Amino acid sequence: MNETLVQDESPTMPEPAPLARIQLPFEFRGNGAEYFRIWIVNLLLTIVTLGIYSAWAKVRRLRYFYGNTVLDGHTFDYHGSPLAILKGRLIVFVAYVAFLLAVQLYPKIAIFVFIPLALFGVPWIVMRSRMFQLRMTSYRNLRFNFLGTYGGAMAAFIGWYVLTIITLCILYPIWVCKRVRYSLDNTAYGSQRFSFLTRNGTYYKFCLITFALSICGYLVFIYQFVKLPGVRELFYPDVPPPTMLEMVMAAGPTGWLMILVAAVVGLGIAGYYQASFANAAFGGTRAGEQYGRSYLRAWPLIGIYVSNLFGIIFTLGLFYPWAKVRQTRYHLSNTLIDSDGNLAAFTATSSAGVDAVGQEVGDFFNVDFGI
Amino acid sequence: MPLARKSVTSSTWTSGSSLINGKYFNGLSSAGIDATLEFGADGLVRVHGGAVPIAVPLAEIKLSERVGNITRRVSFPGGGVFETLDNDAIDHARDALGMRRGASLVHWLESRWPVAIGSLVAVALLSIAFFQWGVPAIASRVAKVVPADVDRALGSGSLDILDNIAFRESQLSFERQKELQSRFFAITQTLDDDHDYRLELRHGGVIGPNAFALPSGIVVMTDELVELAESDEELVAVLAHEIGHVRGRHALRQLLQAAGVSSLAVALLGDVSSISGLLGAAPALLHAKHSRDFEREADLFAKQWLHENGIPESRFDAILCRISGTHGKRTDGYNYFASHPSTSERARCVDETD
Repeated sequence: MNETLVQDESPTMPEPAPLARIQLPFEFRGNGAEYFRIWIVNLLLTIVTLGIYSAWAKVRRLRYFYGNTVLDGHTFDYHGSPLAILKGRLIVFVAYVAFLLAVQLYPKIAIFVFIPLALFGVPWIVMRSRMFQLRMTSYRNLRFNFLGTYGGAMAAFIGWYVLTIITLCILYPIWVCKRVRYSLDNTAYGSQRFSFLTRNGTYYKFCLITFALSICGYLVFIYQFVKLPGVRELFYPDVPPPTMLEMVMAAGPTGWLMILVAAVVGLGIAGYYQASFANAAFGGTRAGEQYGRSYLRAWPLIGIYVSNLFGIIFTLGLFYPWAKVRQTRYHLSNTLIDSDGNLAAFTATSSAGVDAVGQEVGDFFNVDFGI
Repeated sequence: MPLARKSVTSSTWTSGSSLINGKYFNGLSSAGIDATLEFGADGLVRVHGGAVPIAVPLAEIKLSERVGNITRRVSFPGGGVFETLDNDAIDHARDALGMRRGASLVHWLESRWPVAIGSLVAVALLSIAFFQWGVPAIASRVAKVVPADVDRALGSGSLDILDNIAFRESQLSFERQKELQSRFFAITQTLDDDHDYRLELRHGGVIGPNAFALPSGIVVMTDELVELAESDEELVAVLAHEIGHVRGRHALRQLLQAAGVSSLAVALLGDVSSISGLLGAAPALLHAKHSRDFEREADLFAKQWLHENGIPESRFDAILCRISGTHGKRTDGYNYFASHPSTSERARCVDETD
């Protein structure tokens, strides 16, 4: 019954051997023009149905991206039910409006109610949305699953957050690592639970490099910028300091060039962090004898982000589908599975349904799941 | 072997039966087998290639909906799935056998450029119209059913906060304060609404010459503005403008509109999560636009009241121009981000430098 894998997909292993490892790349098969049509039609349907269709649109979008993600000749699929998503969105919408009104009308009470609610609610949202997302994902007709508990989410997201604050952010990299670990360590494909291998040290390394680069860059920039003749003249004793805009206007072309350079450097640092983060997360994932590998690099990533951003701005949003496809393609084409060649050996487990509220809460409030 | 691609798939069409190449997964393991799907003329759907023959009635299988050209799933009772990239063959068989078409209309729309271009135009026009007129109209309707108590609660602590961080007690003489209070009362006594209007005078400090209204009906005016005015009629014009804000319930409507715009933007474009920063700017942009509309409304109220009470509208223009003069030239010129309309639009400024 087991299929035979195509060994010649692995450039590093010319000879098939029983224990030979092969590199299975991810590939993205979608294209911007096709996705543009899907996107714009779904946007129109969403508007004319006053937002109700957005749940169906979401399913079609995810199915398009999952269905065009190829690993070892097979694609992923998304099974979320639009009605479950719609229900979740309605609950979130009502809660959001209640929150907005409460903050405006009874700010003091709202703080006492919503801060504990956020502290205890966010881990729940994270857990439920991750569960929904994974259980609705299939590959080779096997579902993914999430085994994380509420207690685990509390510890990773709130417990380590509190410790980070207490220690003046010295433990910040561990907090990042714990969040990723919670997401990945508890993931399962069929009955195979994943494990997360990246150590705290990796997180310390790239967090510290990011921090050091940012601080140095910032100090050098401020020092040079304030020294510019036009800017220096704005600072008088006994006069309120100039606003940001006034300083930028006074800086002149030299200053503007400096701002441009600083922006590029800043984006580069952000790209370094994001690439390191993704590499540490997926690159530390193991499922049985399959190991995740991720080789994103800072500058290409930032090149894609920046060009996408300009593309979207200059086309008033029309470029969005192409931007999304480009980004996905870069991510996937630098991600692979270091495999024993036997992706066919996973087996199923039973899975229960989970409602979509958790994930919608996450989407709506734009909670970063750290993955 | 990789999943059969459309170009290499051979779909054989014989009388009433068709063969489609793909993979079959039984749902118990990730192992797939090369298989052929057959829609038999006898009403049975068969999968060939596995060790155990599969044959189920047409009514028991489920086709996944087509999105672009992604892998199509044919689900069997018991959890087995046949996967193929030959979407056209599946669609053809579905139509030939009269199976439910599901959401195939959406796929039909999504695969045509004229439809895409048409949708684009429609989306653009609808969004503009909705944010321009729809949101303010809805907010204004909703505001009508919200009791005035809500206005009183809105920003009830704002004045305390400002007193703590910026304001000091007014340094105007008691007589002068009484005079201004009676001018304020002269305006509010003619109004027949539920608001408790009250004038609060403060020394502005860093805030400078300014006046603003709180939704509860409190109007705050700074000593600096009183000094800047050349006549009390100018101050009356400013007070009328601020009362216009309260009377029009602009704070409540602003809040309702902001809530409406941001939740709708997220609901409509929730897709765009990766550029949510940009999305965040859109409501702010519209917020500023709506805020300018409120300023115009309050201007209109003030000028109308001045007109009815025999005060020349030019008093309003004069004080507005003088305030914008003290704030520098920044408020002139059109700016989509500005919370107020440009002074040159609101008032005819006479050059007062001589």
